[in-house]
Amino acid sequence: MEVGTRRIMDKSFSSVGIFAIVLMAVSLVILLQPVIMRGIGAFAFRGTVEFREMMLHQFGRGDEDKILIETEAAEAARRPVYELVEAFEIELQEADSEFRSKYRSQFRELKGRIEDLLGPAGADPGGILPRKRYGQTRWDRAEKKLHDILFVEGYDHSDPSRMGVRIFTPRVDDFRGTSLEPLFGILERDAEKMLKPKPTLYWRFFFDESIDSHFFGGIWPEMLGTFYLSLGAMLFAIPFGIITAIYLAEYSGTGRFVSLLRTCISSLAGVPSIVFGLFGLAFFINTVHVSDSKSVLAGSLTLALLILPTIIRASEEAILAVPGGYKEASMSVGASKWRTITTVILPAAMPGILTSMIISLGRAAGETAPIIFTAAVSVGKPLGLMQVFNQPTPALPWNIYNLATEHEAVDEIRHVQYGMVFTLVLMVLMLNLAAILIRARITKRLRG
Amino acid sequence: MKSLLKSLFRFSFLMTALAMSAAIMAGPAITAETIVIDGSTTVGPIAKAFAEYYMSLHKDVNITVSESGSGNGAKSIVNGTCDIADMSRFMKPTEFAAAVEKGRMPVAHVVAVDGIAMIVNPANPVKALTVEQVRGIYTGAIRNWKEIGGPDVAIVRISRDTNSGTYETFESLVMNKEKIHEGVEYVGSNGAIRQRVQSTPAAIGYVGLGFVDRSVKALDINGVMPERNTVASGKYPIARPLFMFTNGYPELGSHLHAFVTLYLTERGQEIVEEIGFIPVTNYRK
Repeated sequence: MEVGTRRIMDKSFSSVGIFAIVLMAVSLVILLQPVIMRGIGAFAFRGTVEFREMMLHQFGRGDEDKILIETEAAEAARRPVYELVEAFEIELQEADSEFRSKYRSQFRELKGRIEDLLGPAGADPGGILPRKRYGQTRWDRAEKKLHDILFVEGYDHSDPSRMGVRIFTPRVDDFRGTSLEPLFGILERDAEKMLKPKPTLYWRFFFDESIDSHFFGGIWPEMLGTFYLSLGAMLFAIPFGIITAIYLAEYSGTGRFVSLLRTCISSLAGVPSIVFGLFGLAFFINTVHVSDSKSVLAGSLTLALLILPTIIRASEEAILAVPGGYKEASMSVGASKWRTITTVILPAAMPGILTSMIISLGRAAGETAPIIFTAAVSVGKPLGLMQVFNQPTPALPWNIYNLATEHEAVDEIRHVQYGMVFTLVLMVLMLNLAAILIRARITKRLRG
Repeated sequence: MKSLLKSLFRFSFLMTALAMSAAIMAGPAITAETIVIDGSTTVGPIAKAFAEYYMSLHKDVNITVSESGSGNGAKSIVNGTCDIADMSRFMKPTEFAAAVEKGRMPVAHVVAVDGIAMIVNPANPVKALTVEQVRGIYTGAIRNWKEIGGPDVAIVRISRDTNSGTYETFESLVMNKEKIHEGVEYVGSNGAIRQRVQSTPAAIGYVGLGFVDRSVKALDINGVMPERNTVASGKYPIARPLFMFTNGYPELGSHLHAFVTLYLTERGQEIVEEIGFIPVTNYRK
């Protein structure tokens, strides 16, 4: 090949390479940017007086006197609203039936929406579920609810050949000419005074238990569950993985049976994770009965099976990559085979083995399918160390899925879901970072 | 650069150590008793609310709730891997037989009543259907909204998966042994149906009453809206009880017994109502 052509080939190859790297970096940024931006919203937001009241009641946090003063001020700002509502309610009861039937359902909806925004009025406890006891705790949600009060979402069905078109009409139009008319102006003007939003840093989101199926509180049981599950998986997978790798690399030779074994391990790495999940349910729980119900133990064992092939193959490669000279030198000074493996080969292969371990740890932390049937639940307490053997636990990946699809009030608690995604991504990124750093350290030490 | 890496490394190491110690510190809060609940995604919200209410009164009990469908709930009772199976349908004869064969006697507790609401996107002008029309939609006889008073748009039919109790109820109360068309899209939970209908103007789906919110429109069926009094009085045609199954009747005085009879108390009924389902009795009167 001519030198010119070769140069062009080289250049085009490297430019394709650079393009691929840039593409990856850009997609990483596009992927991570919303995860981070929205995830931070779970920790840092404008909390309303309802938030501080909720924290005081549910967790006993905050300065009671200060919150009382604040609540009273908010209550004073809300008074005109409640007075108007009450007056209209009486008016409605005393009015003729025509007036009543015209306004009754609209008024009931309006009242419900005001309660959504501000919480139950006055001394009324509201309900048993905490979600019914407080108004909007976050200003961003409160603004949404305020908009829902001020405007009626309707659909214009004037064109019968198409689906309706969404239109917003001011709700005040529905009550034009009644005593409720000024209510909407007051709400719009004084909403901030009624809810008193101020910047809030809720770092305890990590360490709080959930209140009322994630309506309030944090994600500690989920974090702890993920931590136990991935750590447990490592505990089972690492010893077996490394021992198998040593056997395959140093002892097994190259028989037919061994190559069959290798093929099996490689194909195991390609088995879909849901299959592992079902296997875990059928084998560990229903056949072996490692626990009476789903449990962290059963989940860890299933995850261990999932990551075992990766650890075996990567560790084997790492061991095989140790230069033959190391082994020969060790043997030549009279060390036994086992001693050579433990003192010379394993330390030299350590960077590779460690990388495989920590990448698997990240995978175990993020997997959903294997734990659905073996360990994960949507509500539960954080577990103590001794409870992992027989109790199931919430875990981040599963609860993200649960909050994204199954939860009965998905739209109300998006911020919790985003916070969980952020936490999981952060955990996995930190594990990977740790892998890179540990590797760099050990490689450096080995070079001397 | 090097020192930055070093400090980053130290930071991550520190974080891990912190997390570990925090985990161990949380250890002493040993809970004496556990109640494991599995099953229906429709009953899930009730079970979760009951669980958190009960745990707030009894700090030493850990109640875990998973929502994996009525079919899985039944399997868990058969295999003895849960204390309570939430189910939005009754156990099938085969499931019952399998449980009895293993020496487990399922006992049904009806915790609430539910109407299955047919939901459409609010952009859809259609307000009312008959049961026959709904059946027609799901058998594939009716394919376009214009056949039932809507615009000229093909109907996107959403159904629960076959593991679901809501699916079974829908099949027996609406489908009348006719086969559901293969063009129907199956999703795994009530919440997923609602989201699908929220985001698709031409969609129709069905969910338990507790999952109907303002983002979707419940249809009037045979001239009856799915509401508390219409469902409780039996006027609304697609209604069913919601169950919790236990293995035998729980031992009197146990937490399990107190939990599974929570729905009989006034507070329990209020919780059921607050979530949007219908209490078994008209306790307020």
